[in-house]
Amino acid sequence: MSDWIIETIGLSKSYKGRYAVTDLNLRIRPGDIYGFLGPNGAGKTTTIRMLLGLIKPTLGSVQLFGKPLHKARLEILRQVGSLVEYPSYYGHLTATENLEAIRRIIDVPKSRIGEVLEIVGLAKEARRAVKGYSLGMKQRLGIASALLGQPKLLILDEPTNGLDPSGILEIRELIKSMPSKYGITVLISSHLLSEVEQMAGTVGIIRNGALVFQDSMPSLRRQAQSSISLRVSEPERALAKLKGGGLNATLAPASGFIELASCRDDEVALIVRGLMERGHDIYRVEERRKSLEDLFLQIVEGGKPS
Amino acid sequence: MMGRAFSSDLLKIRRKGLWLLAIVAPLGLLAMQALNFGLRYDYFLEQYEDELWEQLLQYMTYFVSMSVLLGCTLVSSLLANVEHGTSSWKQLLALPISRSSVFAAKFALSALLMAFSCVLLAIGTVVFGLSFGFPLSSMPLWDIVRLSFFPYLGAMPFLAFLLSMCIMMRNQAMLITIGVTITIVSLFSTSAPEWLPLNWPLFAYLSDKPFWFAAAGIVTGAAVALMGMIRFERKDVA
Repeated sequence: MSDWIIETIGLSKSYKGRYAVTDLNLRIRPGDIYGFLGPNGAGKTTTIRMLLGLIKPTLGSVQLFGKPLHKARLEILRQVGSLVEYPSYYGHLTATENLEAIRRIIDVPKSRIGEVLEIVGLAKEARRAVKGYSLGMKQRLGIASALLGQPKLLILDEPTNGLDPSGILEIRELIKSMPSKYGITVLISSHLLSEVEQMAGTVGIIRNGALVFQDSMPSLRRQAQSSISLRVSEPERALAKLKGGGLNATLAPASGFIELASCRDDEVALIVRGLMERGHDIYRVEERRKSLEDLFLQIVEGGKPS
Repeated sequence: MMGRAFSSDLLKIRRKGLWLLAIVAPLGLLAMQALNFGLRYDYFLEQYEDELWEQLLQYMTYFVSMSVLLGCTLVSSLLANVEHGTSSWKQLLALPISRSSVFAAKFALSALLMAFSCVLLAIGTVVFGLSFGFPLSSMPLWDIVRLSFFPYLGAMPFLAFLLSMCIMMRNQAMLITIGVTITIVSLFSTSAPEWLPLNWPLFAYLSDKPFWFAAAGIVTGAAVALMGMIRFERKDVA
């Protein structure tokens, strides 16, 4: 039995010779909220479809709950709730009937329908045909469907797509409560870092079908920390001096700024004094804060995290 | 497991017009004959006093075989569209249920809807004849049952084929076109060899070996459904 709820090994999928997902090794811990990030078309949905057995991998394998998906598909899916891309629903049926259609297949007690409607806040609207629902309500119904079978793992593909800010907030709070309240592990995909930033414990970033980052949220945050930029007279000489002092400094040729990794206030003071004593004029000392979003963009646009 | 999928499908086709279609189709067939016999009743009475039932069945024969094929087309498409409509396949197939059960349940439901129509047609034909005053004593009950059910059994391969295609493909317009084309061609194919499945719905009633055609329809239908199921098992769900 492995320690991971989801583990993919060298997962790849090609369509007509073009790889949509290559050599993906996802690892998701029990009880975690895993933010699966990437721009549109990076391969998130393809990956999620493979996790659910909707499409077959070209190469590699998927293990859920420590069991291979292709061998124990039904047993595994009994413990998984999912919402893939936009919500699926039967528009001519009411919310209760929609859930009943699923309940008849997964065979859980009827009382679950009322419970999940309560959880997603749709209990009052349950008797209306779903085609008249707003997108937010349909998304919530989708989440209710995913929760119906009391899953241990929830796979949500862009669950806040098309929602207004208050809807996003609502869904976020709902998802955030899943591990603590119900002991559910969550995989949530998104193309926006800001959306999962506040709930994910671990982040995986996918670009052009390949996983380019997978680590904890704090570790991603650390990488997004600030840097110090200096503009001084005779920057080359100053750079050599700083490097000689064992500092990790670089010179940005276009702007002429010397860039230093984040340092404490007293270190900055020391550096400035040292440079002044060597006769450099100091024009600017700036702190540059790289936002998480910048870092995310840098990662998805091809640069490795620094 | 198929039972669960079937019960779910029964719920899903509520208010989708499938039951309405199953009821209206046989009634429509009979309504046409009501017009035919209503307008020319005296003529029929004069010319065919002793074979009124036979006349009725004869007039209905081609329409029944045509309606059965059209029915297979519409039922398959409407049933598959319940899932295609809002792309529910991905949700359905991510549930802990085997794809073969999902497919088998859909096939069973479409076969049931068609059979329901056939039962209505049989009952309706009897009621029709009696209400027009056809003699009860000469009622050809076996022929009525044969006309109501055998064309459907002969059309089983088409039901299986059309349902498989409708489930597999999103573009229902094309499949309805195929179904309608099959129906029209079947009207002109009676001079083609007997082994052509296109002829089976009609020959299952008209020929002198109806059981042979009905059985061929069931066996071939089961084989086609099995092939459809195997393909569905392997299909990637978009």
